[in-house]
Amino acid sequence: MTFSRWLPSIVAVLVATRMPPAVSLAELPQVAAATPPLLAAQCLDCHGPDDAQASFRIDTLTRTIDTVEMAERWQKVLNALNSGEMPPKDAKQFEAAAKIELLDDLSHAMVAARRSLAEQGSDTLLRRLNRREYQNTLRQLFGVEIEVNELPADTRSGGFDTSGSNLFMSGDQFDQYRALGREAVREGFLRHAAAGVEKKLRVETERLHKWFVTTHEKWLDEHRRAKQWCDAVLEAANRPENAAALAEVRKRAKSDWQLVHQWKQFPGAPGPDQFGWPKDFGEQVLWELNINTEFIAYEKRYLEQPHLDTGAYLTLPGAHRSSRSNTFFTIKIPVDWPPGDYVVRVRAGATPQAAAERRFIEFGQSHWPLGVPASSTHQVVGTLDAPAVIEIPYTVLAKHDARARTLFVRERDSGQEPVAVARFKEAQKANGVGPDLAIWIDWLEVERLTDADREPPPGIRALGIPLDDRGASLPPGVIKAALGRFVLEAYRRVSAPPGYLDRLMASYSARRRAGATNAAALEETLASVLASPRFLYRAEPERRGEDGDDTLDGQKLACRLSYLLWGEPPDAALRQKATRAGQTAALVDPAVLDAECTRLLDDPRVRGFVVPFVSQWLSMERLDFFQFDRRRFPQFDDAVKEAARREVYETFADLLRTNGRLGSLLDADFVVVNGLLAGYYGIDGVEGDEFRRVPVPQGSPRGGLLGMAAIHAMGSDGEHTSPVERGVWVLRKLLDDSPPPAPPNVPQVARLAGKALTTQERLIAHQEEPQCASCHRRIDPVGLALENFDAVGQWRTEDTYTPVDTNGWASPAMKALKKTWPIEPAGSFHGGPSFTGFEGFRDAVAARERDFARSFAKALVEYALGRPCGFRDEPLVESIMRRAETKNFALREFIHALVQSEAFRSK
Amino acid sequence: MKKHPLDRRRFLETATSLIALPVLESLGFRRFAAAAEQPRPKRLVFLGFGWGVTNDSWYPDAKKPGRDYRLPPGLAPLEKHKADFSIVQGLWHRHTANGHYGSTFWLTGANEFGQPGQIFSNAASVDQVAASRLGAATRFDSLCLDCGDAASGSGHGPGLSLSWDSRGKRLGGPRNPVEAFHKLFARDSTPLQQQQARLLERKSILDDALENACELGRRLGKADREKLREYFDGIRDLEAKLARDTKWLGVERPQPRLAEPKPGLAGVEEIRMMYEILTLALETDSTRVITYRQPVSTLVASLGIKVEAHTMSHYHGHAGEKQEASERRDLAQSELLAGLIDRLKATREPDGSTLFDHTTVVYGSNIRTGHSLDNCPTLVTGRGAGLRLGENIVVTKGTPLCNAWLTILAGSGIDVPAFGDSTGVVEGLVRS
Repeated sequence: MTFSRWLPSIVAVLVATRMPPAVSLAELPQVAAATPPLLAAQCLDCHGPDDAQASFRIDTLTRTIDTVEMAERWQKVLNALNSGEMPPKDAKQFEAAAKIELLDDLSHAMVAARRSLAEQGSDTLLRRLNRREYQNTLRQLFGVEIEVNELPADTRSGGFDTSGSNLFMSGDQFDQYRALGREAVREGFLRHAAAGVEKKLRVETERLHKWFVTTHEKWLDEHRRAKQWCDAVLEAANRPENAAALAEVRKRAKSDWQLVHQWKQFPGAPGPDQFGWPKDFGEQVLWELNINTEFIAYEKRYLEQPHLDTGAYLTLPGAHRSSRSNTFFTIKIPVDWPPGDYVVRVRAGATPQAAAERRFIEFGQSHWPLGVPASSTHQVVGTLDAPAVIEIPYTVLAKHDARARTLFVRERDSGQEPVAVARFKEAQKANGVGPDLAIWIDWLEVERLTDADREPPPGIRALGIPLDDRGASLPPGVIKAALGRFVLEAYRRVSAPPGYLDRLMASYSARRRAGATNAAALEETLASVLASPRFLYRAEPERRGEDGDDTLDGQKLACRLSYLLWGEPPDAALRQKATRAGQTAALVDPAVLDAECTRLLDDPRVRGFVVPFVSQWLSMERLDFFQFDRRRFPQFDDAVKEAARREVYETFADLLRTNGRLGSLLDADFVVVNGLLAGYYGIDGVEGDEFRRVPVPQGSPRGGLLGMAAIHAMGSDGEHTSPVERGVWVLRKLLDDSPPPAPPNVPQVARLAGKALTTQERLIAHQEEPQCASCHRRIDPVGLALENFDAVGQWRTEDTYTPVDTNGWASPAMKALKKTWPIEPAGSFHGGPSFTGFEGFRDAVAARERDFARSFAKALVEYALGRPCGFRDEPLVESIMRRAETKNFALREFIHALVQSEAFRSK
Repeated sequence: MKKHPLDRRRFLETATSLIALPVLESLGFRRFAAAAEQPRPKRLVFLGFGWGVTNDSWYPDAKKPGRDYRLPPGLAPLEKHKADFSIVQGLWHRHTANGHYGSTFWLTGANEFGQPGQIFSNAASVDQVAASRLGAATRFDSLCLDCGDAASGSGHGPGLSLSWDSRGKRLGGPRNPVEAFHKLFARDSTPLQQQQARLLERKSILDDALENACELGRRLGKADREKLREYFDGIRDLEAKLARDTKWLGVERPQPRLAEPKPGLAGVEEIRMMYEILTLALETDSTRVITYRQPVSTLVASLGIKVEAHTMSHYHGHAGEKQEASERRDLAQSELLAGLIDRLKATREPDGSTLFDHTTVVYGSNIRTGHSLDNCPTLVTGRGAGLRLGENIVVTKGTPLCNAWLTILAGSGIDVPAFGDSTGVVEGLVRS
């Protein structure tokens, strides 16, 4: 069944269109017809009815895999063949070509079996709000985004965080939900109470100048006195009368520093106190002060710069703390300022000498940012003569203390000490001074954005009573009504079950009697609502007695739609369409549903679909699996990595906005980049932090997923490319041809140690053994076609490899074997067309748009329905494909088709 | 109160009746008479280190089984305890296939795909099987220590600790030394009456949650109702804990000879402190079963190693820098373990024996190195389960790791016919 993977799409279409809707045996995973006889001929003597060695019988295996037990038994066969355990070494062996096909068949059948077994009971299962949906839902209710990191992430490698069966619940989580709910209510109340408060603060950086100068002089003085002392000790040690002592000390002390450390051994050597130091001042500190002179020239250069009277420059940190003035500037939002949405403004300009890649600042939150990752990077498009203001949004919560309210800016890529220090030293070695001063900052400012006109968020509007002490004397009936409205809102238009409001009211009153304020009692009471199953689960109750009709009602359908496209509950407009007027809700009408779907896709909140869907669909977690070797790739800093990650999202978002072709993800003649990434790609004329569509310049390999740095970086280990990872990814994500997972316990190919081989030569080793060849003959050519992109997605035409010895070290002998070779990107798909280089390869992939569309449609089904997309979903996938294909596979068509489908509209 | 499908009241009654009255054997009392007469309770500790160990330098030579093996470099810090621990080689979980899951199935041996209709399933972990028998008399039936955020980069795989409950669901616990210290030793200075009121209030919150779940459950289809059961079960677990808390109301928590740990400990210091706390938890008989999922990622960082933990685990075939990092990690882990063994040996029980005499410590992972899942690193120490110590025990390749778990359960007086995919005990591990 899997012998020709090159034609599966056509076969699949034929099968799918003719397939009866009911489940038939033919859809269950099967091993190929040729497999059982092949195994029987080989294994029956020892694993048959006469002699079932290891209690394993090959003759009782069935071709159809319909139970876990049967799958396990086939898996056992596969494992035994893969590991070489069977057939026994001294027995007759399979013919190599036959074994490859056998393994190929078995491993694909196991993948299929796993899916079909996981799919049993294929209704959409009750789904808990996953972590991000929970966060979004609270934000929608209370207008504040709380941190939910302590909840389990719900993401799972290879799956989606919308999968019902994977969304677990435990007692601990119940307590966490209560605590987080309480926090959301408190923050929401305080935020609401502060509506209309206006605050603004500016810090002029030139105020720091005096401090800079004072510090500079202090270090100069200390350096001078440290040097004097060290010189005096060395001088004393070298006096003739101390010759014996010196010889003695020299036995242990190899360096001058060690000698100075032993200063007490030399009679007549002065103590540090004679140079103004405390008597017991550390020798090591003094030695370091003596030799660390890097700040002198650097700061002297600094003090010669213009505009020091109106601003200040960001510096790069050197090795010693004496060279760390102005490596960052901070601004503190006062702790008594209320929570809300703020904006941070930085007025900055780049100096004429600043290199292009240094015209960026990093922004983040920390009072001491060295080693702290930045939260965003911003291009400095202003100059010294015409500085420009950079605006950065920032949200403040009531719980944030003074530390959490301290914000910093620093130069790009200056936060990682080893990297920054290396740059400093390199520059100093080159010019004797240090790195050029690149960024001048005029001032920093924070302002609380006015929210006087802001509509109260739905949760607070629903309560509709004073939340402070003014609400304390309200009659119980009013409170109870308020709680009822809140429950209706939080439960997404399901009213409180009988008796529930009385219990909530009892809880509220008990707290009030115990002395709690109105706000505190509400907080606890609402926290219970927010930890109850009606809130946490997207329940889709059974509709009994309606002749088996399991179509969702308007509100439930609205929830599915908005959680799919926004990751949050329906807004007022959608709810209104979902409300039953007469017999059925308007939303149930396909035309209305289509229109609402379009409206939701047009809304910026669609980001709540784009990011989680794309990152999980494309397995982008791999981007964070490895750290990137900065010595090898100095240009690939965190800022580039984040911009590269965003490029994937922004490109998809762009296509979704414009309803572009899905196929553009394979063959676009444009990229969606910001200034920083354009610089990384060598594309001129793009300035600023906004991502936008830019045509790909002539001769550039960019455009489409296969031209993106993030995709190639995901297919590396941070150092070397991994053609296997890349090949598997392309097959799995782009060509709808999933290779089975690698068998565990693959031995390392140790015999390659110490040999200088090209990547291609090393990969050929995979194909020597039949158990490896069955998959690698398909995977490797695809991965090798991308070898023109290095581990950080930059174009290259040659590669080098330094072999390592058996201990894993690149010793000098090994370094001598270093090999450089031109990339040879020509190749051919296994059993398919050949190509001469990356471009040809990309075109060949793009030509398989239909396979790509299938892979995308399946992922979409899985994400939207919260369960694996299995054999039974073939008709659904096909119907989505058919509708999309009539519109040239325009992106939105897939979503509309899915939303209109029976499966989406019913339980 | 409406009728509950599973009659929660009765469950609560039975659940509480299982919990024996606390023995007042806190530090102040224990020197007195009677305690010494009774046999000391068995204890079990499982320590999991995610990303595995360095192949070439952690395992003793498999060709030299028995007592006279040479300690490999990765275990060198354990030299002085050589007679008191054993390495078992050749064990594995046949169902585990994910090379990034060092801990998810380590104590369960379950098959991730074993349940039709589920994309993930697990089973009760060996410590929880032990806790169901050993845990009745203590304030906590078990203690599942974890490392919070650091777990994600440490090669443990899904889970909230090493432990999985009887239904195969994730169990969480204290995520750092401060949380662990508070759970075990925090003094509650509020008056008893107020404490009582708080428990009652909590009870009503839980009642309320269950009531809501019942109401919703009645409206759902069969499969959804089954899924909602997790919520029920979660609340019922909290009720059982509450029942235990009620029993222990008014019984002061023991006061350890340890100041409250400083927040923010990471890496080596964090593990050292957790070892200290877990020793005290055993010493004060707060619990008899402990698991600890260790912060390998911050351990590596705290050693000043610049290679990130996952990158390090891929040392094979590439740069020596990664292998060197991997070896330094092994050394640090072995040193910490040696410190724990020192402490267990130095801690006296009321009858004059030591904690080490009654405790079994298992130290290991489901991952060997990189992505290899066979010959799972397994080190056992402590005299609590009558295990054969001081040896390099090499078993037939492919022996279920669950056989070792069964051996340890049996040795700790827990008589179960089988555990996971066990096929019997590991004979070589039983002291003859």
